[in-house]
Amino acid sequence: MPQPVDIVGLLEAGIRAEETRQRTIASNIANLETPGYRRLDVRFEELLAKALHSGQAAGATQVEPEIFQPAGTPLKSNGNDVNMEMEIGEMLKNSFRQAAFVRLLRKKFAQIETAITIRE
Amino acid sequence: MTVHNAFGPVDIAVSGMRAQGRHMEVISSNIANSRTADAGQGQPYRRLEVIFRTEQEGVSPVCIDQIVPDQSALQRIYDPGNPKADASGHIILPNVHVPVEMMNLSTASRSYQANAAILKRYQKMVETTLELLR
Repeated sequence: MPQPVDIVGLLEAGIRAEETRQRTIASNIANLETPGYRRLDVRFEELLAKALHSGQAAGATQVEPEIFQPAGTPLKSNGNDVNMEMEIGEMLKNSFRQAAFVRLLRKKFAQIETAITIRE
Repeated sequence: MTVHNAFGPVDIAVSGMRAQGRHMEVISSNIANSRTADAGQGQPYRRLEVIFRTEQEGVSPVCIDQIVPDQSALQRIYDPGNPKADASGHIILPNVHVPVEMMNLSTASRSYQANAAILKRYQKMVETTLELLR
């Protein structure tokens, strides 16, 4: 029998990752014109996929988002590679995912609540 | 920039906004240098042109392929008082035509707006989908 997936744990890990990503985007936008600043990005989905494929579903909820500096983005003359449009796009995608996760979490809690109240 | 399956329209619209932003930068350089008789090596400024291309085949974000100088003829204007004038009293000025640049600027800014509109509309669409999760 396959291991039951810890949905709440997975959603929590996802929300944590989106929060980290939101922070890096805020840092990128704050440093839009800082000379020499290189934009930061968050690696999470790949790590999660790797953890899920390794067969240990329990480990997937422990996946931590990883902040890294992507290479190969075009540099501006001041050595900075932040682009406002790109950050806005990233922020938009991030908020979509965050909203989806939070709503799924709420659905899950509502389900649990139904299971509890049904006994009364 | 790669397009992920989820939220692909965001990446594509952002690539359009970035490309048009760069296009506007080039247009502003053309306008600012519309009377620059010396662009560094004694030659007048040459109008720059942006060439766009897709990043991959099929559905794809846009990117700037190259920014090339326009090889059309430079303007020759009669101005005998100018210290740079030749023996016949003419000076050579850039091949920038401000009305043309203004037209290109309108196209670029409208295109930027169109991409922003896509972004906004797509955001509404995703919000509609997320409403179903309530």
